[in-house]
Amino acid sequence: MTLTTTSFDWVRHLVHKESAIVLQPGKEYLVEARLLPIARQAGLTDVSQFVESVRIRPDADSTRRIVEALTTNETSWFRDGDPFTALTSTVLPSLLGARGPNERLQIWSAACSSGQESYTIAMLLEDALPNAASRVSITATDISREMVERTRAGRFSQLEVNRGLPAPMLVRHFTRAGTEWEVAPALRRMVTASQCNLAAPLPRMGPFDVVYLRNVLIYFDLPTKQAILRRVRDLMRPDGWLFLGAAETTLGVDDSWERVVVGRSSAYRPLKGK
Amino acid sequence: MTTLDSGERRRTSDTRPVITDLIDEVTVESIAQEAWISLVGEDEVLVPLPGGPVADPVSSWVDVVGPWTGSVVLTTGRRTAEELTRALLREHSPEVLEDEDVADAFGEIANVVGGNVKAALPGSSGLSLPDVGEAPALRNPDDLCRVELQWRGEPLSISVQGALPPLPAVS
Amino acid sequence: MRALVIDDSRAMRRIVSGILEGLGYETQQAGHGREGLDALEGLAPDQLPDLVCVDWNMPVMDGLQFVSAVRSNPGWRSMTIMMVTSESEHTQIVRALAAGAHEYVIKPFTADAIRDKLALLGLLPQEAVL
Ligand SMILES: C[S@@+](CC[C@H](N)C(=O)[O-])C[C@H]1O[C@@H](n2cnc3c(N)ncnc32)[C@H](O)[C@@H]1O
Repeated sequence: MTLTTTSFDWVRHLVHKESAIVLQPGKEYLVEARLLPIARQAGLTDVSQFVESVRIRPDADSTRRIVEALTTNETSWFRDGDPFTALTSTVLPSLLGARGPNERLQIWSAACSSGQESYTIAMLLEDALPNAASRVSITATDISREMVERTRAGRFSQLEVNRGLPAPMLVRHFTRAGTEWEVAPALRRMVTASQCNLAAPLPRMGPFDVVYLRNVLIYFDLPTKQAILRRVRDLMRPDGWLFLGAAETTLGVDDSWERVVVGRSSAYRPLKGK
Repeated sequence: MTTLDSGERRRTSDTRPVITDLIDEVTVESIAQEAWISLVGEDEVLVPLPGGPVADPVSSWVDVVGPWTGSVVLTTGRRTAEELTRALLREHSPEVLEDEDVADAFGEIANVVGGNVKAALPGSSGLSLPDVGEAPALRNPDDLCRVELQWRGEPLSISVQGALPPLPAVS
Repeated sequence: MRALVIDDSRAMRRIVSGILEGLGYETQQAGHGREGLDALEGLAPDQLPDLVCVDWNMPVMDGLQFVSAVRSNPGWRSMTIMMVTSESEHTQIVRALAAGAHEYVIKPFTADAIRDKLALLGLLPQEAVL
């Protein structure tokens, strides 16, 4: 039941074309494991058979499902801590000082997965700002429709709320809904979720004061990283702040950013004149 | 006026809920799946198919006391319970498993599943310590939510069953 | 760093201790709240565990009573208490926090969950950070 080279290569190219995600040769096992449930739903037990049937007669729904299945949606609340501490300790005070009282701050969670990052930000703002919902809006986007739906729903399993959500925040901002936990309506109103492929021209959005583009550049090759950083910069305010994942940087990728240390984290700010 | 004892009528008129009003099989199964992933192992799935009769059965359960009162009962074969215990203890698993080890581990699984079933029920309820042995008798066949599953090809069932006999029929 | 793990299930004690040891903790175990208090009794401040992981439903003395007992002893303020329990209603978590627990992990949990919570509390031993 191993994946043929033809099937694997076709999936690899499809995924790269649609999402820019690079699947190195050797990731056959990953493709098999991720596609097996979809193959089963299609009534097939063999991944190769499934891939072949889609390859010969591609339909938009199946190809989309294949691409979505190969995204890695691993995420958690307050992931790595510091980029969120930096928001309330440094970034927010500086932005509030620079903006008028009626200007709404715009924050973008640019690969939001199931929404933990967006709602981490929402909780921090709700706790830090009176009337947060009228002063801030959070845009959450992901290439995966399923993840966008999940973010919109704002419902999390027991296993998910266990991953890094401080218990005092859980009880303050969530209620139980059956076996799941549902985020408070006030937080949900702050977050608008939509589908968006970072590797393609971006829709009209922003301009953003803060962008969290975390743990997604790692999946792309250098030219894609460069193109994405450029497009993101175009949607940011000149004095905006960009947060990347712990293993990601603009250094050696795109020299139009200035790296600044904020507490124990680093952020990137658009360099003037670039 | 003569009234037929249709369960329907009773359900709407009395204040004591039966479990099927409060929780469904899908919920119980999803609670069990989460417990398996985290306690038994990341790749351990419960297959939602009846696995047939259980040879040499053993049960572990916890009691829930509140607006609904009953037990959350896991039943499987003794051999499977032992295998579950080994999976739970991983590298800490002793060469020879004592009955006590099995009671402890299988009981803890009932505690985890039962605690989450309790939390999915409305109102607040208490949870007992787990017990292991022969399953408590089924008191009211209408007050039962049961899922039959397979783990590593062996049958395992979870019953959320009421502790009280049916109310007398309205006549 | 040191941790005390209190749970009436031996299997669960081993699981929690195993995770903590993997992160660099030295662990000690107790089977219920009373045994947990006994283990702490008479320890000099520098011998106290940094972390106590405690179940809720246990014989003899439950986790909530244990938390209240620890919190009523000013000499034990330095310890961080994390409840690890299948009690998972909103109201129960509120009760545990009100009694003085710092964190709350709902069973079932994964090893990552314990790690993430310790990171939040600043209680990850140095070798486990990144
Ligand atoms: C590992 S998650 C990171 C989630 C979150 N930002 C965090 O740091 O925890 C990566 C996410 O990137 C999304 N993704 C992958 N390729 C993408 C693309 N081309 N455009 C937009 N999102 C993409 C995936 O669907 C996935 O949800």
